[in-house]
Amino acid sequence: MIVALPLAILWFGALIVALLDGTRKPAGYLAVAILAGALAATTVLGASVYRHGPREMAIGGWEPGIGIALRVDLLGVTFAAVSLIVLLTALWFEVSRDVKARIFPALVVFMGLGLTGLFFTGDAFNFYVFFEISMVSAYVMASYGETPRQLRAALIFIVVNLLGSVLFLVGIAAIYHNTGWLDMERISTQMPLLHENPAILTATIVFVAFGIKLGLFPFHFWLPAVYTGTRPAVAAILSGALANIGSYGLIRFGADIFPRELHESAPVLIALGAISIIYGGIQAIARHTPNEVLAYSSIGQVGYILIALSIGGEAGYAAAILYAVINALNKTLLFLSASLRGWIAGAAFAVGAFSVAGVPPAGGFFGKMAVFQVSLDDHQPWIVALVFAGGALSFIYMFQLYRARFWINEEADEATTRGALGLVVAIALMIVAIGVFPEPLLRLSQQASALLPERGP
Amino acid sequence: MTLLISLTVAIIFASAAYLMLKRDLIRVISGVILLGNGANLFIMATGLRQGRAPIVPSDLALSDPLVQAMTLTAIVISFGVATLVLSVVYRVYDSHHSVDLRRLGSAEAVQASLDDQPAPDQRRVLAESDEALESEEGVVEGARR
Repeated sequence: MIVALPLAILWFGALIVALLDGTRKPAGYLAVAILAGALAATTVLGASVYRHGPREMAIGGWEPGIGIALRVDLLGVTFAAVSLIVLLTALWFEVSRDVKARIFPALVVFMGLGLTGLFFTGDAFNFYVFFEISMVSAYVMASYGETPRQLRAALIFIVVNLLGSVLFLVGIAAIYHNTGWLDMERISTQMPLLHENPAILTATIVFVAFGIKLGLFPFHFWLPAVYTGTRPAVAAILSGALANIGSYGLIRFGADIFPRELHESAPVLIALGAISIIYGGIQAIARHTPNEVLAYSSIGQVGYILIALSIGGEAGYAAAILYAVINALNKTLLFLSASLRGWIAGAAFAVGAFSVAGVPPAGGFFGKMAVFQVSLDDHQPWIVALVFAGGALSFIYMFQLYRARFWINEEADEATTRGALGLVVAIALMIVAIGVFPEPLLRLSQQASALLPERGP
Repeated sequence: MTLLISLTVAIIFASAAYLMLKRDLIRVISGVILLGNGANLFIMATGLRQGRAPIVPSDLALSDPLVQAMTLTAIVISFGVATLVLSVVYRVYDSHHSVDLRRLGSAEAVQASLDDQPAPDQRRVLAESDEALESEEGVVEGARR
């Protein structure tokens, strides 16, 4: 029962909020309360998973093995909690300023439902269904504001990501055809028995599908166009919550279902990650508007996740999880605080900038350090050099942006409300807290990765 | 039979890819819809097994019910998404008076050149980009004439 509770809260909550006029404050705050309730339920579930191991439940009272399974392990519950924190902050931020479309709060709750379901499901096809629920909310959200530019961006976003969704669907069908199962646990036991050719083809299709969601280097082209035009709250949701589908998908499918293929294609994936880091960093330096700089910065940051994942092993997976979690928080903080003015917002932005560049005491330091350590253990010194170079690039573009936003023009902005500032400060404090007390998150990511099958160097 | 279906799926995917590379938005969307249907056929093909209707107490060979359930779900999803895309295309047409990607591209270029100007004062640039949106519609109008 406790397994389905966050989903039930979000599901019924989203339906209720969808009927209300979201431009009014009470409806907006109701949506915020629903997300907070789901977050609380997820935390309780997470505590129980942490203590007693993965929880499982078959939907609709069917026998396990016949009914569709919800399977919650530490990896899924961590990603669900982070995504809900991001959604909650971004929605609260937007409500405390002004919601422009009546459907917006409901969309955020629906996206929370899609994401939570996706992280909790143990069934590959249900993964696709939840994936589509969150993608459709994102499609509508991308055009939120409805200026000509946002409509153009939404169109690109929809067409490119639909292509990704169809590829993923084809991948699921191929997995089903090859293994005869949709249950992810059984798939991962069947997959090693499969001949290499179909396995590597399927793995490639799934990788491309998640690469598009995540905005990795060769599939990044839609990302700047979408992030540049949207409002800060939407950009925060897309990069902080929706992109988690990509990182979670790569970790879950890569480490759990295709470990052999992941290991075989590691050199290619590491090269792609390296290109992402350098390309994103250099492009970000050349840009002026905050959203554009941060969009290219996202392309660079996901490169680290891919590299950590491809080096593999328990430590590599743990580093990928840690980096993905911290990156989601960083991006939320940066997109939101860059739209505010005043020294408080400036300080919060600086925390985010330090975190992206990997400077202690911000949380990003431990993300970078984990990747660093893994590449040292793997005797790949050039990756260490790359992590340094990427950090230096992000230092440059972050402080270019800081200078343009907070030094040159620091007069107060009318949209800077006290509530919005409070939220930004809360996220900044959370990142500093991770940096000062990293043990809980480190242990969490290590335990989450310990459940994945051991494979690698 | 498998070869025939794979050929059909290949032709559908190829046509969809061709349509998605066109300049006309309506063709792009047709490509997207076609792609969804190609994927549906692909799912059906993964469980291609002749047999009777899958009603449980039976000794005869059964057809695979799971692929049919999956295809049905995928059809519903692709149908819903197609309506959403069409409504976005309509909104784009409404604001740009065109469904030609070249015109949308030139409107984007106007916006990008405004964004790339050095910005000593972010406020002023924001105000300018608001004007740009209006003049951008002017550009589109001009292109139509």
